[in-house]
Amino acid sequence: MSDLVGYLLTGLGIGAGFALVGSGLVVIHRVTGVVNFAQGSFAVLAALLTSTLLGAGLPHGVAEAGGVALGAVAGLIVGVIAIGRPGTSPGTSLIVTLGLGVLAYAIEVLIWGDQPRSFPGLTGVAEIGGARIPAHYLLIIAVAAPVFLFLAWFFARTDLGRALSACSSNRYAARVVGIDVRRMGLLAFLIGGALGGLAGVLTTPVQQVTFDSDVVLIVNGFAAAVLGGLTRPVIALAGGLLLGVAQTLTAGYGGGAYQVEVALVLMLTVMIVQAARTGGIPEPAR
Amino acid sequence: MTAGLLRPASAAGTGRAARWWLAGFTILGLALPPLLPERHLATFVLFALTATVTVGVSLLMGYAGQVSLGQAAFYAIGAYAAGLLAVHGVPSLLGLLLAPVIAAVAAVLLGAPLLRLRGHHLAFATLAVQLILLSLLAQADWAGGAIGLQGIPRLTILGYELREDLGYAYAASLVLALAVLIARNVIVSRAGRALRAAATSETAAAASGVPIGRYRLAVFALSAAMAGLAGGVYAYYLGYLSPGSFPVLLSIEFVVMAVVGGLGTITGPVAGAAVVIVLVQVLNTLATRPGMPGYAPAVLSYAVYAVVLILCVLYLPKGLVPALRRATRATAPDRRQS
Repeated sequence: MSDLVGYLLTGLGIGAGFALVGSGLVVIHRVTGVVNFAQGSFAVLAALLTSTLLGAGLPHGVAEAGGVALGAVAGLIVGVIAIGRPGTSPGTSLIVTLGLGVLAYAIEVLIWGDQPRSFPGLTGVAEIGGARIPAHYLLIIAVAAPVFLFLAWFFARTDLGRALSACSSNRYAARVVGIDVRRMGLLAFLIGGALGGLAGVLTTPVQQVTFDSDVVLIVNGFAAAVLGGLTRPVIALAGGLLLGVAQTLTAGYGGGAYQVEVALVLMLTVMIVQAARTGGIPEPAR
Repeated sequence: MTAGLLRPASAAGTGRAARWWLAGFTILGLALPPLLPERHLATFVLFALTATVTVGVSLLMGYAGQVSLGQAAFYAIGAYAAGLLAVHGVPSLLGLLLAPVIAAVAAVLLGAPLLRLRGHHLAFATLAVQLILLSLLAQADWAGGAIGLQGIPRLTILGYELREDLGYAYAASLVLALAVLIARNVIVSRAGRALRAAATSETAAAASGVPIGRYRLAVFALSAAMAGLAGGVYAYYLGYLSPGSFPVLLSIEFVVMAVVGGLGTITGPVAGAAVVIVLVQVLNTLATRPGMPGYAPAVLSYAVYAVVLILCVLYLPKGLVPALRRATRATAPDRRQS
């Protein structure tokens, strides 16, 4: 029993990280229609900068904020390149973000080298329901929960959030009522970058980061986001948590080597079932 | 989502110009290897094998409108199939012939459920397939596990064992020529025309009686077979395989080369592979000069792939070969006038 509680809480902590990456994907996709392949790079860049800032003697909090800020800036840059040119289709933008993800490799190796890095997070062990788990997992959950509440409030209750949602539901109508669709798209990339950065900063103390960790992050984030059809951040949260718990449970009850497969097969199944139910993705208007 | 970028260049140079290009490539493929020094010969083998896979990727993206980010998975399946068969005493030529078959069968089994997906869903699905394969290979003791499969014998054709790089350069050239020839014949066939119609409007093509699903699966299997065949040669050439030889980045490299050359063209993937590999090699030579830091080669090659891909997609969306063709066509009337 105490094992189970431990696995569940660890899983929720890991899953919250996936959910943050996934929600970044969702925010960008709902406003611009682009699936941002460079989403994992924001997390890696933020984590690497944080490790450097902490190494330079900056206190916790400030260093992490610096990492998240870098993620947001990287998001904005990716947005400018991916959707800045008028008439770039979402399919073209996907390939561009793929290229930017590889470009991030070059920058990361140039500045930080190719060895894995980590930094200490919240130390200590918490005891809940007889299970002893590292306190940092609880910190991840404690930070991610208000972020998701804020996102829900932001999109539903503020003018800016409503403007962003308007772009996603009808681009043309949004432009008619005076919303700058392109600027909203860039804002979405900025928010997506910050969310990706936050994911990297939070999870690095429990999972060390290398320049090519972005592939695992983006695939798990996409798996979380795809549950909600890439449009609903709250379902991305549920998807991420489910994914994290499924992975720690497989790892915990034997089959530790197969946790990657569990997440990926889950994602493939969800996508195939969704496609079968809706009869495939509708053909885009040209 | 595939508007613009993934629409194939119309008729894709199947005319006389393409035939001249093919003849030129054939002569180059036969004459070039003996002239190259040993070090560049290895690059040539790499180029021919990569170009073979890229021909398949270009066919898949240009004609079936599918982005595959997991093509290295089929390259790996072909390589491991050939390697494992040869290690267990199967004649190496038979192993080489079976490699594309096994890769194609795997593609049909995977493609049947996966090809219901479109666009970015399919891109992530193929990426997931590759990650699953790499993870399984790293745990499979019968395939050498994470350490890799060692002691693969060399390729023996009719009692003659290929020991030198030159032999493999010709083998790789032959494989590339075969892939190009098949791609050309597919493109000009009835199925090719049907796929081109489907890439413009799937609904219209389906309404005209094109069995889109079956054709899509066939192209997916064909591109996997090309990757598998190239993988087979790779296995015998190196004699050693490990999951680390087939990273996700390799799949992305194939996409870069296909996009750079021009999707859905015959000579595009070959030109794209040549341009990218030569560029990476030149920068590699610069980066490994004394005085350059140890990380320089990796940084430069990542940067090359990224910058070439981004510039190409944004400013030359149809790729190098169609752009060149348009440029020569634009200057031709001027010459006639003068």
